[in-house]
Amino acid sequence: MNDRTTAPPPALAVRDVTVRFAGLTALDAVSFTVAPGSVHALIGPNGAGKSTCFNVLSGLCRPAAGRVLLGDTELTGRPPHRIAALGVARTFQNIVTTAGTVADNLMLGRHALSRAGFTASALGLPRARREQREHLARAREIAELVGLGAHFDAPVALLSYGDRKRVELARALCLEPRVLLLDEPVAGMNGAERARTAEVVGTVREQLGLSVVLVEHDMGLVMRLADEVTVLDFGRPIAHGTPDEVRRHPEVLRAYLGTGADEEDAA
Amino acid sequence: MSDPIRRTVRLLPPVLLLVALPFYLDAFWLRIGLFSMAAAIGAVGLGLLCGTAGQLSLGHAFFLAVGAYGYTWFAGDPGLGLPPLLALLLAVLLAGAAGGLFSPVAGRVKGIYLGVATLALVFLGHHVLLTADSVTGGFNGRSVPPLTVGSFAFDLEPQLVVLGVPFGAEERLWYLGLALFALTWWTARGLLRGRPGRALTALRDSETAASVMGVDVARYRSAAFVVSSMYAGLAGAFLALAFRRVVPDYFGLTLSVDYLAMIVIGGLGSVAGATAGAVFVTALPLLMTRYADQLPLVASPGTTDGGVGPTEAARYLYGAAIVVILLFAPDGLHGLVRRLRARLRRRTGPGRPPSAAAPGPAPAPTPSASAVRTKEHTP
Amino acid sequence: MTAFLDNTLSGLALGAVYALVALGFVVIFKASGVLNFAQGSLLLLGGYLVAVLHDDLGFAGALAVAVLATGLLAGAVDRLLLQRGGPDPAAAPVQTIVTIGVDIVLVTELSRRIGGDLLSLGDPWGDAVTEIGPVTVADSRIAAIAVSAVVIGAVFALFRFTPWGLSLRAAAEDTEAAALMGVRLSRVRMLAWCLAGALAALAAVFLAAFPAPGLERTTGQIALKAFPAAILGGMASPAGALAGSLVIGLTEAFVAGYQSDLHVLGEGVGDVAPYAVMIAVLLVRPTGLFGAKGAVRV
Repeated sequence: MNDRTTAPPPALAVRDVTVRFAGLTALDAVSFTVAPGSVHALIGPNGAGKSTCFNVLSGLCRPAAGRVLLGDTELTGRPPHRIAALGVARTFQNIVTTAGTVADNLMLGRHALSRAGFTASALGLPRARREQREHLARAREIAELVGLGAHFDAPVALLSYGDRKRVELARALCLEPRVLLLDEPVAGMNGAERARTAEVVGTVREQLGLSVVLVEHDMGLVMRLADEVTVLDFGRPIAHGTPDEVRRHPEVLRAYLGTGADEEDAA
Repeated sequence: MSDPIRRTVRLLPPVLLLVALPFYLDAFWLRIGLFSMAAAIGAVGLGLLCGTAGQLSLGHAFFLAVGAYGYTWFAGDPGLGLPPLLALLLAVLLAGAAGGLFSPVAGRVKGIYLGVATLALVFLGHHVLLTADSVTGGFNGRSVPPLTVGSFAFDLEPQLVVLGVPFGAEERLWYLGLALFALTWWTARGLLRGRPGRALTALRDSETAASVMGVDVARYRSAAFVVSSMYAGLAGAFLALAFRRVVPDYFGLTLSVDYLAMIVIGGLGSVAGATAGAVFVTALPLLMTRYADQLPLVASPGTTDGGVGPTEAARYLYGAAIVVILLFAPDGLHGLVRRLRARLRRRTGPGRPPSAAAPGPAPAPTPSASAVRTKEHTP
Repeated sequence: MTAFLDNTLSGLALGAVYALVALGFVVIFKASGVLNFAQGSLLLLGGYLVAVLHDDLGFAGALAVAVLATGLLAGAVDRLLLQRGGPDPAAAPVQTIVTIGVDIVLVTELSRRIGGDLLSLGDPWGDAVTEIGPVTVADSRIAAIAVSAVVIGAVFALFRFTPWGLSLRAAAEDTEAAALMGVRLSRVRMLAWCLAGALAALAAVFLAAFPAPGLERTTGQIALKAFPAAILGGMASPAGALAGSLVIGLTEAFVAGYQSDLHVLGEGVGDVAPYAVMIAVLLVRPTGLFGAKGAVRV
């Protein structure tokens, strides 16, 4: 369907990104690189700047200094919709779905990949109809992939919490992203749902060969999925490395794990 | 593949009914129909902007005026004297262009704030209509040239008799209105169910989600405004044809508020709802005026001594309707009908198709005595 | 020079009156996130009450009753209609449209009662004028400036020094946190509406006073010009609304004053100038002159 999924994704490089809100430094010269096709976890206590970092990556927040590069393409300063079109998709910590069915939400994810404008849609031109059919078929495939196949035509408002989180994941996947940003994808889920989501993330990474940046408080999930981990504390990166290295890092133990490893969301 | 066929079959009875009506109704009812059609076209446009994109506009009357005066000027004298059909098309485009000129504001100011910003359009527009009298005819307005297609005129002349029924301006315009309304219905559905509709819905529900999913927020906001202006332009041009005269005072803030009332009463975000609301808000004062002497508590029009006139009674009713509907039944008439239908379906059991949906459950309180009146002709 | 002073004074008087209405918009907005489109009909109601009561109660008595009654009605509209689902700021857009419904009903009723008449409010200033140096000023204008200054000062003091003002500011900052800290949101809101209603009623007196011919059914529409004023000020800032009102008042007075030089723009261009100013400002700053980025609530 889309040839950019077949090529390996370019590296996502974050270089000295600094963000200030009204005098407060939310991110202080943060740098890390997400290797092509890897899962890179971003962990840290609440308020460490993880979500701010995601907002920079997806263009919702403009950094005061520093740059973000996807391969050779500069992402800094681009509006969110352009960054989306370059293949960076994200989910939100608190669920943000829109009205309508699962299909409607997933088709929103196809927005950047489809073309039908106001005129073509209003007049019901054949190419607009054909495009809609094709993208609907792909959206259905993705729904099956994340386990939402049975709910494809159900209104999102009627779904369970876990299913709605999955809708967000599927919607992001519908963008056929090269880089997928997941903000606490299993927060508030029960054990079975967590396992299922972890499995999906593993599958899409293998099947679609994309890079994943993961913010998550569930350390079990992070240790299982991540190839590399960056630890933030008060907006500063305090450790980098494989899950095992990070787990043993004294700074991390003090700043993060010491204050309670399993505190849940509510950032 | 049977779905489109079933849909067509379901649409057939209401369409046939609408096509047959001019053979049975007299000019009064036909005129209510014409104004309702015009209102429905405009309301569908406003519904797209307010219901789907979540942008409040109180400037709809301005774009109706642009369509009405635009048509008159393109087709008339003083003016360009173009073929009326071309003038109609240009009037719609002109309204769209006017909406586009406002897009630096419409694209950046969101939600209810846009409502305040668009107030300006109505007042400034009204001022221009009064001032530029070489184009607009000033306070007294100007008469509207009839629409002609080839040698056929949507007017009294040349005389036309179809199946024994003389076809005057109302009958002819009825079919024009039906065609324009069908076009509106069809295009609006295409928009709502297609990529633009999804993007606009997303924009309304979460600007953030929409933008990270690739929706260019400012562009779509202005586009929604432009499209809504074009529907308003079409409605205005058709209204001008139905009135045969355009005057500035008609296109005031009250008209904008009427349109807002239509989409709120009908239920935000649906084409059928906007249509139902349009018929309700348009027909109500006209019917109350006509039957004022039979209604309790309503004085006949013309009596000035403190009684509640029919127009006022209608305004009370729909002012209150806005309050009641938003507070008690936020999805309006459309939601009400949907819930009723769902209940009906449950009761009659599965397998029976739901009752055919006419384009809007026209809630005209038709007194039975007049429904069977024979057609009399008042051109 | 005389014309300039003359225009400045009428602009200030007009701005002072707009400020009363605009402050009402801002108070309501801060407390509830609602844009009150019924402000114009509340104003008309206030004026109407003064007009029908002043014969029996005298001007001051009628004004007191009108201010009180209009304030109570505004509070009732908020408490009984808008707050039905609780004081939830997320419902503000819907509640805004509800105020349009309320406005339709109120305006229809008041217009029906007023009809084509011009009602006198029986104010003590009449058509008296005072000479200040080279300019002649209507007493009603001086009164408008003086009374508005006192009332606006009092309202600012309310914001700053009373528990209600504190609660209001807290609620405007963060509704949830305010609720957690024990702010009774529904009461704060209702009082804000009462205050806005009272301010509107007071403004009606000056809008109908000399040199205006009296209260007409369209007087309420003048309140809509306070919208540009409030928007200019960023909608959430009382000081901004005051500044915006003066800008709007002066613009209107000067455009009307120099109308003969601007005759290409047509008669009555002063009445629409505020809207032109609003559009111009929104083009440059979509959140208003004093609106900080993000001050507008989503």
